[in-house]
Amino acid sequence: MRGRFKQTVTALAEADSRVVVLLGDISVYQFNDFQKRWPTRFYNLGILEQALISVAAGLSAQGMHPFVHSIAPFLTERSYEQIKLDLCYNRFGANIATCGASFDYAWDGATHHAYSDLAILRLLPGMDVLQPGSEAELETLLRSEYANGRPTYFRLSDHPHAIDTGPTRFGEGIVLKRGNGGVTVMTAGPLLGNVLPAVEGLDVNLVYFHTLKPIDAGLVAAFADTRVLVVHDAFGLREAVNEVAGLRTWYHGLPDAFCGWYGTLHDIRKRLGLDAPGIRAAVERLLAA
Amino acid sequence: MIDRCRKIRADILAISHKSGHGHIPTCFSVVEALVAVYSTIRHDPLRPDWPERDLFVLSKGHAALGHYCTLAEFGYFDVAEVERFGGFDSRFGCHGDRLKVPGIEVSTGSLGHGIGVAVGMALAEKIKGSGRRVVTLVGDGESNEGSVWEATMVATDRGLDNLTIIYDHNQSQRRCLQIPNPGERFAAFGCAVSEENGHDVAALSETFKTRHAKPHAVIAHTVKGYGCKTLVDEVFAWHRRSPDADTLARLMEELDARAV
Repeated sequence: MRGRFKQTVTALAEADSRVVVLLGDISVYQFNDFQKRWPTRFYNLGILEQALISVAAGLSAQGMHPFVHSIAPFLTERSYEQIKLDLCYNRFGANIATCGASFDYAWDGATHHAYSDLAILRLLPGMDVLQPGSEAELETLLRSEYANGRPTYFRLSDHPHAIDTGPTRFGEGIVLKRGNGGVTVMTAGPLLGNVLPAVEGLDVNLVYFHTLKPIDAGLVAAFADTRVLVVHDAFGLREAVNEVAGLRTWYHGLPDAFCGWYGTLHDIRKRLGLDAPGIRAAVERLLAA
Repeated sequence: MIDRCRKIRADILAISHKSGHGHIPTCFSVVEALVAVYSTIRHDPLRPDWPERDLFVLSKGHAALGHYCTLAEFGYFDVAEVERFGGFDSRFGCHGDRLKVPGIEVSTGSLGHGIGVAVGMALAEKIKGSGRRVVTLVGDGESNEGSVWEATMVATDRGLDNLTIIYDHNQSQRRCLQIPNPGERFAAFGCAVSEENGHDVAALSETFKTRHAKPHAVIAHTVKGYGCKTLVDEVFAWHRRSPDADTLARLMEELDARAV
């Protein structure tokens, strides 16, 4: 997905001289061509996430459309106050694009895992929070939102799904499957690649989101008379869905504990029951309950 | 002390008394710096959004009352409007909001933020090839924050010769983490450094007009509470305190004593 990110940002920069890229010494090789073409609009500033966000705010204040790119936990959790104040409170728009979440750097351990980013960024007034699941979704959302004037979070993934979810529109959820069993599975982002096969043949609804803020509350409410199972390998979607009053929700996702394993994303998902068989078992439990 | 600065200090005291808010000593240490800034940057109080203006960012946001009174003195608004400072629906909060107060470029308050945004602004103006300058005022206490030094490193690494960092060296941290040699620190981080009497408007103005080939750090040697003996003698007790009527009269007398 980082390749598509680079391609799309390059295309945007070609058409819009206000696009500026700020890197936290990550994905630098990807942007070699960008740097050669627009040396005054490319800055690998260094490993200083607070400054990355503050500098982006200053660029935005002076009319630029910055893309800040670094590793998810450091750019969102370490710099949370800069995002809150320098961007959101000041109403300076900027694009924050991270890699490494949730467990894309599984082998690096809990210091490099990031599963709270979506949840904490959702709490900030004026912030848009996007978790595109596929490269196509990422490109569409980048193109439609990069200059929206608001702080906008794009959570990239090294393991996107390749499912055609139909037209991608900012702020809109997508119904991928309808059933009569009284259970609705709601998920977001790349995990759809596990969720879709997991519910194959089960009598459930499947609703998918790439936009966690603003959440498509109207679509969520349309399933309020069903039992809702949120399946997500992060925090944030459950909270977003529960903004709609009167839901009965269950959550199949992360524990209140550090995930102290290494290996790969797939190893950790399996341990958490977020591989396709684990998800299917969770859905079947709710169907049988 | 020049009359203009005495007037701003009197406004700060009167508004703090009336509103019950304000960090008076920290405001008093930066009055001359603020007057020198607005005497030298390109700005137009009648057109605060003038696209060619230079930009000033008050990174030590708790000196907002001093900033408001200075902006009023330069004609951005009537100082009487500031009297409801800190009031529920006042435009003038104890930390400035850029969306409410003309002349405030960045809403600050939490320490160590404004300088980073100022660096981004200076970078943007370099990208655009404009001649606009960016000036930011940081506190010595604020400079305990690592983000101040992150921002300074970026500024020097990117050669932002359109950026001036004013460092209010008012010894506010002498009971915890005082930076003893800020000029050496900023020089070590790659800035051109000037050391000035922070209560000399003429000297500060000359310094601010001087251009350098790299970011310019001006160490303003100041006295917290400068202008009123009581505030200087009891600086920690007065960090965030407003005078009652009797004390206000005494502080006004001290301010008028022209001993400083």
